[in-house]
Amino acid sequence: MGGQNRVLAILLGVLAVLVLAVGGLSAILLASGSGDDDGGSSGGVTTSSGGGEVDTSPASGRIRLASGDPITLDPHIAGDALSAEYIVEIYSGLMTIDPDLNIVPDLAASFEVSDDGTQYTFVLRDDAFFHTGRRVTAEDVKYSIERASSREVASPVALAYLGDIVGVRDHFFGLADDVPGVEVIDERTVRFTLDAPKPYFLAKMTYPTSFVVDREQIEANPRNWTRKPNGTGPYELQEWRLGERIVLRANERYYGGVPKVAEVLYELAGGSALTRFENDELDVAPITVNDVDRARDPSSDLAPLYTVSPQFTISYIAFNTNVPPFDDVNVRKAFGLAIDRGKIAEVTFNNMLLPATGILPPQLPGFTPEDKTYEFDPDAARAALEASTYGSADALPSIVITEVGGGAEGRIDTQAFLEQWRDVLGVSVEIRQTDFATFLADQDAGRLQMFNAGWIMDYPDPEDILDLKFHSESALNDVAYSNAEVDDLLDKARVERDPEARIQDYQQAERLIVQDAAWLPLYFSQAHVVVNPAVKGWFEPPMVIPRLRFVEVDR
Amino acid sequence: MAAYVVRRLLWLPVTLLIVTFLTFVIARFGPGDPVSIAAGQFRDPEVLAQVRAERGLDGSLLEQYVRWLGGAVRGDFGESFLQQGFTVNELIFPKMWVSAQLGFMALVVVFTLGIPLGLLAARLNGTWIDPFIISALLFLQAIPVLVIIPPILWLFALQFDLMPVGGWGGLIDIWWIGGVIAIPIPDPHLYIPLLSMSLGGFAGVARLVRITALEIQTEDYIRTARAKGLPESTVQLKHVLPNSLLPVVTVVGFALVGILEGAFFTETLLGIPGIGRFTFEAVVSRDYDVIMAITSILASVFVLMNLAVELTYGWIDPRIRLGEARS
Amino acid sequence: MTTETAEVTRTADYATSHSSPTAELWRRLRRKRLAMIALMVIAVIYGGGLFASVVAPYSYTEQNLDRGLEGPSADHWLGTDRLGRDMLSRILYSSRTNLVVTATVLVSGSLVLGNGLGLLSGYRGGLIDDLIMRIGDIFASVPGLPMLILINATLSPRVLEFTRWVEDHTFISGLVSSGAASYLTVFAALSLFSWVGTARIIRAQVLQLRERDFITAAQATGATPFRIMWRHLLPNVSNLVILQVSATMGAIAGSEIFLSWFGVGVQPPAASFGQMLFEGSGARTFQSNPHLLLVPAFFVTALMFAFNLFGDAFNDAVRGR
Repeated sequence: MGGQNRVLAILLGVLAVLVLAVGGLSAILLASGSGDDDGGSSGGVTTSSGGGEVDTSPASGRIRLASGDPITLDPHIAGDALSAEYIVEIYSGLMTIDPDLNIVPDLAASFEVSDDGTQYTFVLRDDAFFHTGRRVTAEDVKYSIERASSREVASPVALAYLGDIVGVRDHFFGLADDVPGVEVIDERTVRFTLDAPKPYFLAKMTYPTSFVVDREQIEANPRNWTRKPNGTGPYELQEWRLGERIVLRANERYYGGVPKVAEVLYELAGGSALTRFENDELDVAPITVNDVDRARDPSSDLAPLYTVSPQFTISYIAFNTNVPPFDDVNVRKAFGLAIDRGKIAEVTFNNMLLPATGILPPQLPGFTPEDKTYEFDPDAARAALEASTYGSADALPSIVITEVGGGAEGRIDTQAFLEQWRDVLGVSVEIRQTDFATFLADQDAGRLQMFNAGWIMDYPDPEDILDLKFHSESALNDVAYSNAEVDDLLDKARVERDPEARIQDYQQAERLIVQDAAWLPLYFSQAHVVVNPAVKGWFEPPMVIPRLRFVEVDR
Repeated sequence: MAAYVVRRLLWLPVTLLIVTFLTFVIARFGPGDPVSIAAGQFRDPEVLAQVRAERGLDGSLLEQYVRWLGGAVRGDFGESFLQQGFTVNELIFPKMWVSAQLGFMALVVVFTLGIPLGLLAARLNGTWIDPFIISALLFLQAIPVLVIIPPILWLFALQFDLMPVGGWGGLIDIWWIGGVIAIPIPDPHLYIPLLSMSLGGFAGVARLVRITALEIQTEDYIRTARAKGLPESTVQLKHVLPNSLLPVVTVVGFALVGILEGAFFTETLLGIPGIGRFTFEAVVSRDYDVIMAITSILASVFVLMNLAVELTYGWIDPRIRLGEARS
Repeated sequence: MTTETAEVTRTADYATSHSSPTAELWRRLRRKRLAMIALMVIAVIYGGGLFASVVAPYSYTEQNLDRGLEGPSADHWLGTDRLGRDMLSRILYSSRTNLVVTATVLVSGSLVLGNGLGLLSGYRGGLIDDLIMRIGDIFASVPGLPMLILINATLSPRVLEFTRWVEDHTFISGLVSSGAASYLTVFAALSLFSWVGTARIIRAQVLQLRERDFITAAQATGATPFRIMWRHLLPNVSNLVILQVSATMGAIAGSEIFLSWFGVGVQPPAASFGQMLFEGSGARTFQSNPHLLLVPAFFVTALMFAFNLFGDAFNDAVRGR
């Protein structure tokens, strides 16, 4: 066999692969259809038989969502949004957030605040029961707070949410056996004492860390109780198969009224949610940057099902104000003025994010629509750099921007910023991508010069971002930002009892912070979803709040 | 021979000890830890230190390793940070089982298609079809899994809606005819991963079978069989085929390793709840106990597999004496 | 693998024949047109990478936000990516990344570590042999891909930190920004896992050679062990070495692609095939912008196919076919 024959053979080989692929495809096309449908419908019958058993209750129907495995279903440990998503449906606490983002009593029927603002007395509802039917008492509340803040549970978020309660700190570090700041007055009444008047305390009580758990269950099964947790929320965990599915079933004893949807199925396996939505396997699916054009096109079948809602999430570039050259406010300003966020949001994210107008996102108390950030202005950017102590791009030290991810999750917008800093300012910045663990370690150690990050609001109060991230004494102030005027405003707002005045303080602090350019606010996130028309009342809240019980399904 | 096997088996725990210790040190050498990830946005250094102490992450490295080893030899691989409230065993074994099923199926596909193709190529040696088959298979082998999956998905799942986009439904699905007759068929979730995982494997198997078959054709006993006047089909079926298959047994191990690495990407891209994607997540979030468990289990499997391959060699080709290299 | 070794042993005798073994090998190889075509494909792709800074029409970072996601045109022969960067230029620079990593790993891992340890182990025998082979066993039993990712996740930040420290305290600069430091970690990790196979095969060959007359003669004249290994043993295993190189080259080039797909390896905006494939992967992306995947896919597949064909032909040539 000569060389020519081999060459010919190989070209034929390549051709054959293509021919076989096309041929095979048409064969499958011809043979498909019926077989596939049969398989699908039989699967449907077997699975839906489980949902058909609850006919006796007013709750009915089933909705199917795509999600992931929660890191934990122990409300006292959870610190991530995904876990919270399930926890807020299965458990409940003294306070909650309603769909209009008001902080309202939940397990509490009412509460009173002492005149000095340090004592909160909650009276429990008398129709609140655990899933097993046991009535919730003041002792349960006390037990839950003590468990959440105990040394053994070692919750990484306990102090963040409960640290204002007298005695929690000592309990957490093992210096005390109980929490004196939580007192049982009688079976239905419990009193919390705080170390100072803190108007945002009620907001923190909406977070899972203070949710009520069942002491009997935990003591009987300390290791595995979260597999079938006994909560007080509108839904009960019926099934959890890791990586496959989670099924929630309506709690018919729920004190807020029986939820309208009997069963909620979360598919955990992954894969394209939109495709499964279009195959009628899911009722709600997020829209990604690749599909958004189709969803926006008024003639597409997705358009009428498509909704966009704001999220309490901001992404930003942070400057470590301790480290040159970002210890100079003019350099920070120059970097902010040199980037065209609007254009980049359009190109890289197809306008799925809103260019940030400041630090406080839309719908959050204190939000104002006018743009407080530095707008794209190449001349002003160069002028700011000249006004800095460095005077020119050549005099700047080397600059590294750090971000989470790798090729797999790399942020393409950062590469666009890099190019603009080079074009406009003549500064070359280097990207360093690290994994999340490395990033956190470096961030906590103050080793990062400049980094790409985001903040997700935990409760709807400006304190949750402005005070935590920018007060010069906050442990979470990872940019070493320090401005005495801002500190004063934040200190004042912390204890200000007039809501109007308090919000004004925060707005003023926000303006100062943005002007100092400790952060370059980039974008506010938005939720883009399509919802099956059979599902009524679905909404995408800007943060994790209980919502399933407000949803109805009609089919 | 027996002594050799015993010596190799005795060496196993030493290898595992070193491998696990190295992994332990490397995993913890990196910056960051699972506690800071679990803490989310609120990372007060004092609080994190306390949590580390409670979770046993504050002692010296050696102390921690010994504690881990103590658990591991009893089969207790600790607890996950990524999935709290579950032991590592509960997490990884179901995932490994999924990966193993998928890998086994891919292996079956590779061999059931690769062997006939190799025999065919050998049979048609001298014609253009032989190099044609082999080059076509080499071409398939050259396409990385990363490249092949998006077009397959697009074609079969998005464009023509024939198969599910991803996920896992076990191996067998039931196909109902008229709701009465049940026919077990491979689960539709399997098609795309199997296709993408096996495409690259055919070439290796087919080439090996082809070469062996060609060598056997010239062996004396084949000539004798032909001289006796046996029909050619009988010669091929009774003599060439069984003898060509023997060496294939030895590449099962290597093929499996290749398939496992391919599965890493396949599982990630197709959302299959196997061990591949989970390993990557565990590494990124420094889920120490999970990393350790996966490494030690895979290392044991590799060592045993290597030994098995070596023994098979000796069994198939007695010319290769075991332990010869060591003398 | 052992069967291959046995076969090579049988044909390795021509090494002692009159014409130079390498010249003979080359003569045989040149007759195989397929191998020559494959070699040409590799040369074109890697040549483009080597001279990327001259050949590429644009820089790999140059973006034009108004012209993102365009298909092929006169300005951009292979279209543009999301940021309006020229795909052809990025392909050329990706090829450079791949070339650098592949070449370095080959030299450091397979060639130096693999051959050096294989020669040493086979020739010296005894304790050294045992030690090297047992260490090899350990590396061979570690699950490769997860370990590579682990090493890169944990060691690479430390290496970068160290390099930065070196830059700050010496006159050396540009190690981090040129990506040299991130390459270094990938090399080191890949090298660690790629030497074992080569070392085992070389060792097996040396074990047989060392009893031969010419070695005994060299020993009798008082040649140092190093000289014997370098002058007498190495030339006699050179074909084996080249065979190993041709077999592992494709695998190493492939590893670079897989690793950078996982975000391990070079940092953006530096271009790599893995990152380009990642940006184009996803069935939905493929649907809306197929060129994002097809362009890098074409080059990667061509490169891998050429490596496969060349390795195949080379194998035949070494075995005297």
